[in-house]
Amino acid sequence: MSLRVLVVDDEPPARDRLRSMLQETEGFEVAGEAENGQRALELCDSLQPDIVLLDVRMPGIDGLEVARHLATQAEPPAVIFITAFDEYALKAFESEAIAYLLKPIRAEKLRAALGKAGRLTRPQLQQVASSARESPRRSHIGVRGRDGLKLIPVEEVLCFHADQKYTTVKHQKGEDLIEDSLKTLEEEFAASFVRIHRNALINTKYLERIARDASGQHFVHLRGLPEALEVSRRMAGDLKDRFRI
Amino acid sequence: MNTGARDMSARDPSLQEQGPPRQLYLPDFCRARTVLAIVIICELTALVLALARNQAALGFWSDLARTSMFLLWISLFGAGMLCVLRGYLTRQSLPKGSAIVLLLSAVLVAIISSLAYWIGSRAGLADEAGILPEDLWTFLLRNVVIALVVTALALRYFYVTHEWRHNVELQAKARVHALQARIRPHFLFNSMNTIAALTRSNPARAEEAVQDLADLFRANLNEKRNQIPLAEEIDVARTYQRIEQLRLGDRLRVEWKVDSLPQDALVPGLMVQPLLENAIYHGIEPRADGGLVTVVGEFNKGMITIVVRNPLPAANLTMRDGNRLALANIKERLDLMYGERSMVKSGRFDDEYIVTLRFPFQPTNGGPKA
Repeated sequence: MSLRVLVVDDEPPARDRLRSMLQETEGFEVAGEAENGQRALELCDSLQPDIVLLDVRMPGIDGLEVARHLATQAEPPAVIFITAFDEYALKAFESEAIAYLLKPIRAEKLRAALGKAGRLTRPQLQQVASSARESPRRSHIGVRGRDGLKLIPVEEVLCFHADQKYTTVKHQKGEDLIEDSLKTLEEEFAASFVRIHRNALINTKYLERIARDASGQHFVHLRGLPEALEVSRRMAGDLKDRFRI
Repeated sequence: MNTGARDMSARDPSLQEQGPPRQLYLPDFCRARTVLAIVIICELTALVLALARNQAALGFWSDLARTSMFLLWISLFGAGMLCVLRGYLTRQSLPKGSAIVLLLSAVLVAIISSLAYWIGSRAGLADEAGILPEDLWTFLLRNVVIALVVTALALRYFYVTHEWRHNVELQAKARVHALQARIRPHFLFNSMNTIAALTRSNPARAEEAVQDLADLFRANLNEKRNQIPLAEEIDVARTYQRIEQLRLGDRLRVEWKVDSLPQDALVPGLMVQPLLENAIYHGIEPRADGGLVTVVGEFNKGMITIVVRNPLPAANLTMRDGNRLALANIKERLDLMYGERSMVKSGRFDDEYIVTLRFPFQPTNGGPKA
């Protein structure tokens, strides 16, 4: 039985070429094609390909981000990155021993890469994402539910809240459980999120006001979130300084 | 059509004109080297005057001493004055600054001449024939006129040397930037990949694409044709568009409205193409559903205006590394060609990025302007 390959590239001619090259390669078949990251993740869920040929540079969710979402799956497909010229990504691929192909792709290189493509680990991908300049942070948070992968745009996230074991992401369309720790989220989204408490990280975009009750305890009100969030004593000063309240 | 861009400059502070204002230029009169130069120039002038006059009554050495003392007083006082006022003067516009300097030198010369006359007559030198001029007013008038002429010549000299130095610097910079502003490697490899795909599916198109790519690179490598007709430049930009079109398909739409422009207008090579490249790279490629780039030209009262607009990627997406290099490079080369009459403006406006070029029309066969 031949291995099933998903082809992901935003440029039609690039997909055409990969498809025809795969058709000439024995032992592999094209499971599907995706023209962007969002579609790629959907097809990975529905088609369950063995290997994904993934263009690094795409509009919206780019190749590196797709790979990071894939890495959260129980049985992720093997990934081979494709790029025309991304100095930083290439350096990261080299140092993490991740399979990649350069455009224009050579048939024999493609065959070689398909033969030894392996699964990627999350630490590997995090490393690549942080050294590749194009996408230092994800644009979407992936939530794995019963009906497959759900993607929540980061700009729709109001806050992250941590319990003992899980992290809850509260967003405009509800809330979901995710596996990322508050600490890694804080590092990744430092540009738009701020820590207000040991257990909470808020999106500053939705900050409405900071209130204080009789006992001196500070609370943050976010637009679109009914409940107020507790602010720790230590963070209250920082928050006030940052927003000049 | 492009009036929108003009309105915007008032509404959007990030749209600023990029260009050095034309100001009075003065060397630093506080520096010892400048003062030494002034002393030497004075002594040489005094020598020339003394030699030419051949004062029988006074004798050569006395005449030289008298003249050089007089000249040194004037020039060192003048230098001191300009040293103090330099900061203020160089902030003035060229005509205003020049007028102030001329006025100051006239006043200074008048005062020192009067003092010299007064001291001379007090010391009783008026009796001895030839040492003091007979009449204060003709003496003053003569000296002031000389001062005005010499100062005007000096200012002109400062201006010309400054302009020359400025131009040399600009040319050197433009050359460096032209090298850096060459086609992005990403574009090259992606195009190659597209061509590789087309050789199977559509050989005729692949052939065209190879020819287009060759034309584009020829235009890029040709440094000698720094000044080309506008029609040629638009051709290069359209060639570039054809290649990108193959790769991006329906996502890329470009609207050209440049028919009203004089096709023989002289422009620096690679002026429109890099703007289109930027618009596609920053505006179209990062958008999943692509967008429309418009290139609109207007010809009015001898001035050519070209406006390139592109949509911006959704706000949540991290902007790609800005390429201000191409813009700076175009600005420099337009400046080199048309000086202050050219202008480059750029900025965000709502969800668009807009670049406006404006420069005077000069036909290709008219030859370069002085």
